[in-house]
Amino acid sequence: MKEVVLDCLGEACPVPLVKAQKKIAELEIGDLLIVQIDHSCAMKNLPEWARTDGHNVEVEETGDGEWDVIIEKTK
Amino acid sequence: MGDEKNITASAPETAGSSIRRSSRTTVRKPKKDQILPGIAILMLIIVSGAGLSFISKQLAFFWITGNLFGFILQRARFCFTASMRDPYLTGGTSLTKAVLTAFAITTLGFAAIKYGAFISGAPIPGQSFIVPVSLATAAGGILFGIGMVIAGGCASGTLMRVGEGFGMQMLSLVFFVAGSLWAAHDFGWWQLNVIMKSKAVFLPDVFGWVGAVTIQLLIIAFLWIAADKWGKRKAEQSH
Repeated sequence: MKEVVLDCLGEACPVPLVKAQKKIAELEIGDLLIVQIDHSCAMKNLPEWARTDGHNVEVEETGDGEWDVIIEKTK
Repeated sequence: MGDEKNITASAPETAGSSIRRSSRTTVRKPKKDQILPGIAILMLIIVSGAGLSFISKQLAFFWITGNLFGFILQRARFCFTASMRDPYLTGGTSLTKAVLTAFAITTLGFAAIKYGAFISGAPIPGQSFIVPVSLATAAGGILFGIGMVIAGGCASGTLMRVGEGFGMQMLSLVFFVAGSLWAAHDFGWWQLNVIMKSKAVFLPDVFGWVGAVTIQLLIIAFLWIAADKWGKRKAEQSH
């Protein structure tokens, strides 16, 4: 099981989402992708996409207006 | 106790951890207490509003509605850009449906205000905003759409995120203002040579008041159902 951190701090929507979509395709099932974001819009569409795609998702607020979106690839 | 807490905290920002991470990538930064600055800013908003009401009642009203609009926009993570972009990018249509619902509510509200003025014989407010519709509208919409997706927000979204302290969009705002000034500078020419060549349509003149509201609501309902179907289909495809 691998853990990949994707630094998207300072990137506006939809860049974090597109980067996450590309990255998750490279990962194996069971790997974790941790996307660091500070754009409030990505806070909404990133988890929404990952959930509809069927992955396990968690959002953790790491600071004021900064979040880690943790995606576990399930398929 | 700890487990119970995890179950009750169902909001996405505070959800308990069920995914096991081997390492924490960032040390949790100490949270600044924002309550005092918050109260100070709220006071400042109220005092400014009261001050503005001495100059003009309308100005104070705009100040209050502007602040409320910004607050709702930020808390709801509402984004007009995402509502148009996400159906294609992620297949998510929840914001699209939210925007359409807002359109439906404002349709009723505007119709009520305008009809109220119409039956009492007063001049109908806001009629100067009825402008000609033509291919220029569509061309402008496409240009605006490209711009807002690249900039990461439309007008309200950019302003809201500048308020949140998102640095990149302060840059967007500078060029937003620059672009708007340039457009305002050239607007006279476009108005005279392109826009005025087509007709302005006020729906109640064509379909009557009931007809106009019904038709507009039906179109919105149709788009809402289409957005809902699109979202469900996209979700099925990815499974």
